[in-house]
Amino acid sequence: MSARWAYILGGVIVAGIVVAFFMDEIRTVSVLSFSLRYAVPLILAAMVGIICERSGVINIGIEGQMLMSAFAGFFGAAITGNLILGTLIGIGTGMIMGGFLAVGAVTWKMDQIIAGTIINILATGLTSFLYAQGYVLPGVTPTVRIPLLADIPLVGPVLFNNGLFTYAAIIISIVLWGLLFRTIWGLRTRSVGEKPSAADTSGIGVQRLRFVNVTFAGGLAGLAGAYLALEAAGTFERGFTAGRGFTALAIMIFGAWNPLGAMFAAIFFGLTQGVASQLQADEVLAIPPQFVNMLPYVLTIVLLAAVSGRISPPAAVGKPYEKD
Amino acid sequence: MHRKLLAAGVIAAALVLASCSSSTDEAATDSTAAASEAAPAESTEAAPAEEAPAEEAPADAAPALTTDDSNCAAPENFCIGLVTDTGKVDDKSFNQSAWEGAQEAANVTGGFAKFIETTDPKDYLNNIAQFTSKAYDVIVTVGFLMGEASIEAAKANPTTNFVGVDQFQGEAIPNLTGLVFPEDKAGYAAGYLAGLMTKTNKLGAVLGTDTVPPVKLFGEGYKAGVLAANPEADVTIVYHEPNNAFNDPEWGAAEAKKQLSQGADIIFGAGGNTGNGALIEIAKAPGAGETIFCIGVDTDQFFTVPQAQKCLLTSAEKKLKQGTADLILAAKDGAFPGGNFLGNTGLAPYHNTEAVVPDDVKSQVDAVIAGLADGSIETGVTLG
Amino acid sequence: MTTTDPARTDLGFTDPDPRRSGPLDRIPGILLPIVSVLLAFAIGGILIWLQGVNPFYAYWVLFSNALGSSEGLIRVMEKSTPLILTGLAVTVGLRAGLFNIGAQGQLLVGAVGAAWAGYAFTVPAIIHLPVAIIFGMLCGAAWASIAGVLRAYRSVSEVITTIMLNSIAIALVDYLASRPLKEPDQPLSRTPAIAESAALPSFGIIPSGFVLAVIVALFFGWFLVRTTSGFRFNTVGLNPNAARYAGISVKGTIVLAMAVSGALAGMGGAIETLGVTGRFEPAFNAGLGFDGITIALLARANPIAAIPAALLVGTLRAGAATLQFETGIEPEVVDVILAITLLLVAAPIVARLLFRRRAMKQTTVTSRWGS
Repeated sequence: MSARWAYILGGVIVAGIVVAFFMDEIRTVSVLSFSLRYAVPLILAAMVGIICERSGVINIGIEGQMLMSAFAGFFGAAITGNLILGTLIGIGTGMIMGGFLAVGAVTWKMDQIIAGTIINILATGLTSFLYAQGYVLPGVTPTVRIPLLADIPLVGPVLFNNGLFTYAAIIISIVLWGLLFRTIWGLRTRSVGEKPSAADTSGIGVQRLRFVNVTFAGGLAGLAGAYLALEAAGTFERGFTAGRGFTALAIMIFGAWNPLGAMFAAIFFGLTQGVASQLQADEVLAIPPQFVNMLPYVLTIVLLAAVSGRISPPAAVGKPYEKD
Repeated sequence: MHRKLLAAGVIAAALVLASCSSSTDEAATDSTAAASEAAPAESTEAAPAEEAPAEEAPADAAPALTTDDSNCAAPENFCIGLVTDTGKVDDKSFNQSAWEGAQEAANVTGGFAKFIETTDPKDYLNNIAQFTSKAYDVIVTVGFLMGEASIEAAKANPTTNFVGVDQFQGEAIPNLTGLVFPEDKAGYAAGYLAGLMTKTNKLGAVLGTDTVPPVKLFGEGYKAGVLAANPEADVTIVYHEPNNAFNDPEWGAAEAKKQLSQGADIIFGAGGNTGNGALIEIAKAPGAGETIFCIGVDTDQFFTVPQAQKCLLTSAEKKLKQGTADLILAAKDGAFPGGNFLGNTGLAPYHNTEAVVPDDVKSQVDAVIAGLADGSIETGVTLG
Repeated sequence: MTTTDPARTDLGFTDPDPRRSGPLDRIPGILLPIVSVLLAFAIGGILIWLQGVNPFYAYWVLFSNALGSSEGLIRVMEKSTPLILTGLAVTVGLRAGLFNIGAQGQLLVGAVGAAWAGYAFTVPAIIHLPVAIIFGMLCGAAWASIAGVLRAYRSVSEVITTIMLNSIAIALVDYLASRPLKEPDQPLSRTPAIAESAALPSFGIIPSGFVLAVIVALFFGWFLVRTTSGFRFNTVGLNPNAARYAGISVKGTIVLAMAVSGALAGMGGAIETLGVTGRFEPAFNAGLGFDGITIALLARANPIAAIPAALLVGTLRAGAATLQFETGIEPEVVDVILAITLLLVAAPIVARLLFRRRAMKQTTVTSRWGS
């Protein structure tokens, strides 16, 4: 998307939020908090997609990776009685699922879409088959209020009074942006995703880098799953990721494969959900919820159709790398 | 009973073997490393499953007259079948309550009970047919959505008794009894309590979809009850969209949080896992159980959602377990009513909030419940 | 040193490379899916055994009930019908080098379209039934064409658009069934029942929808191999540059292949509505499109082989409830078995056991993710 339009859109939204804030502070803050909260798993999952695709691997198995990690994280925490351990188990499971994609898509050079599809089907079947009732989390994830910053009007209560996962998601987006565009690792990753043969010539181990990146990205999917089970919902239910892994793909594209862009895109779609449900609750306007739900997907398709060529995925994405 | 644990281990091992046996030269070390990590973690995740199989042999504990369904046709044998709506018997909601009712009836009668979990709504009739083909005496079909399948099956099998949970019968069929509940009354009583208890005069509700009548009746009844107790109060109701309405706990939690931060101090969560997500979120709020409360639905959620115990004021109960068991027992005694059977509703015990709710509130609520029961109070709720 | 552009060169469904022939290489490619299925059943059997049930008994229950009675056979055929068609939808796409993972969305749109055509008109069956089916197919084709056109003219990956279109379709049909097309005077989100004249009949115990699906599969078995148009699909799928030199319109073929693929999935939805469910409800039809991917891969993108592959999946799905009824095994075990089957058939695990290492060329279907 031409950056100008992104800035104009962003400006309009920010202006709208400020006006709303002066009209009704409580509603504005609570709707914004809802939006951020809604966005957290989407931000993390979109980062998974960005790392993988920037490395040249399509990951449509994010949904399954999240579900499996949420399952492992929840039952891990419930059994060990330790939320931190549960989170680590979730992240570890995510990395295993990421490693699974890496073995399939990188080592075995399987079709990447099929590898991702297998993850989704397997995760749905297994978590449902192995689910058991009667487990409860040992505690509640803490909400951390950052002193001073949290006192800033509007921004403070929304951004600086959250659970640890929320801070993690924002920090990871910023750090990943820095890593991708300001470090050697980022340069190598992007070259492996754009022109692997050139990267290979210059001595970068294409396969190894892809393998490592895809595996570690799985860890972020694990974090997203752990967030859903341990903080957001406080429970695990069958299939409760409810398509968020696919929404994340839309967000990844909408954010132009840029971590910061994806973060804002996720918050934007969270905002559409928050505003729509607030309008419904206040009996102002009942927008059919289906339209709100399809918005990210419709906008993504429109965007791809309108600006193809100017915004495009890494060139080598989807292609296994083979030396001659 | 570590069967599921073992199962997970085997899958992990199979994946490991698969990746070892054919990993190629290049990343062989990487993949084995990833795989060997897999084994321990995968086993941990499965460990919770240990208890599950216990549920599967409920009739064992019964004064065993009928121990299997090999000869349900024999008059001395009593067989109870249950078909779930697309859901599981451990859904902490209506499928589970109905199944508990069926198990209880099996215990009392010395009968045998078994269930099938529907995975595809197109299979309703076929799943019922599994039981009719073995000449089961009573078949419980759970959920509003199975209504038409129940009618068709009941007409085709006139000697089998059917209990249709949440299925209102327009035209009475002698061997099909719709177990229906005045959800609006339960919602009204819960709302009345909330209206008396609120300090902020703001009340919330996070509900499943309004396209399912029992959910809407709960919601509208709740609102009417609040306003009857406290005309000054402001009630905010949000419904999930129909798609995935009962399995989105994250959404339920986020909505509950939003209502809390807008000043609501009592929130009604009704809608399967979605509503449960709301309850769990409210229990985390500062002041939960003192100034902030949640109200559950269907069964006493003090037991089904233990994470919510801290905030749980009460639950707007449908005595689904009792109603199901009663109807099965009636069938056993040859007194199966047919048509519609009105189950009981009410409020669950206060449990942890017993001391927080003032006595005069308790007595007022009791009076309202009595009034609703004898018809002197009407909720005024109708579904348009 | 180049990146391969595998979709253009090899679908991966070809038989092992003859230059590296091993002892088993002369056995046709049918061995891979069969061994994969057997292995998946073995792993599933271990799962069942660990639940305390004899796996042989469990599988016997599963298959004997599904295949041992006329009711069981009817159910298997009913379950398999949309699966044949979504399997074909994925197959046709694969042949043209496209990965249509949007069969689910196309099927939903076709199902709701056929429902509307099925209740909105009052005409004799001889007109009504074909019109309703064709309308469902057109809906599916139109839906898929969005992805086809974007792929051909804007270089947008059909994978991403079909994922997006799946999600949009789920929301859209939900909206249609709950508002504009909702059956009045009742609370459920669903369309009115289709007219008698639009209902698919049965030939004895054989549902006509199943017959239709089999005929379509056979037709595509002939079409893709024996006709010029079918040849175009394959050429574009194998080597678009060669196709261009040969004067084939690559863009036109992509749009056409996607539309045909969508029409097949839409037909699956239409037959579900007109032959099985009698109306449209959003809860129906879940997961059928995703099973199509498994079936297409199991059939190794062979249209005729999609029939047995779909029958296998249909049998498992039809038998799951009986399995739980007789043994207490949860029906989700079927999903686990199918996932393992897909893994074994698509990953080079079995292939490498059967054939020599690396003798099997790798399956890569998708070509480009975007521009």
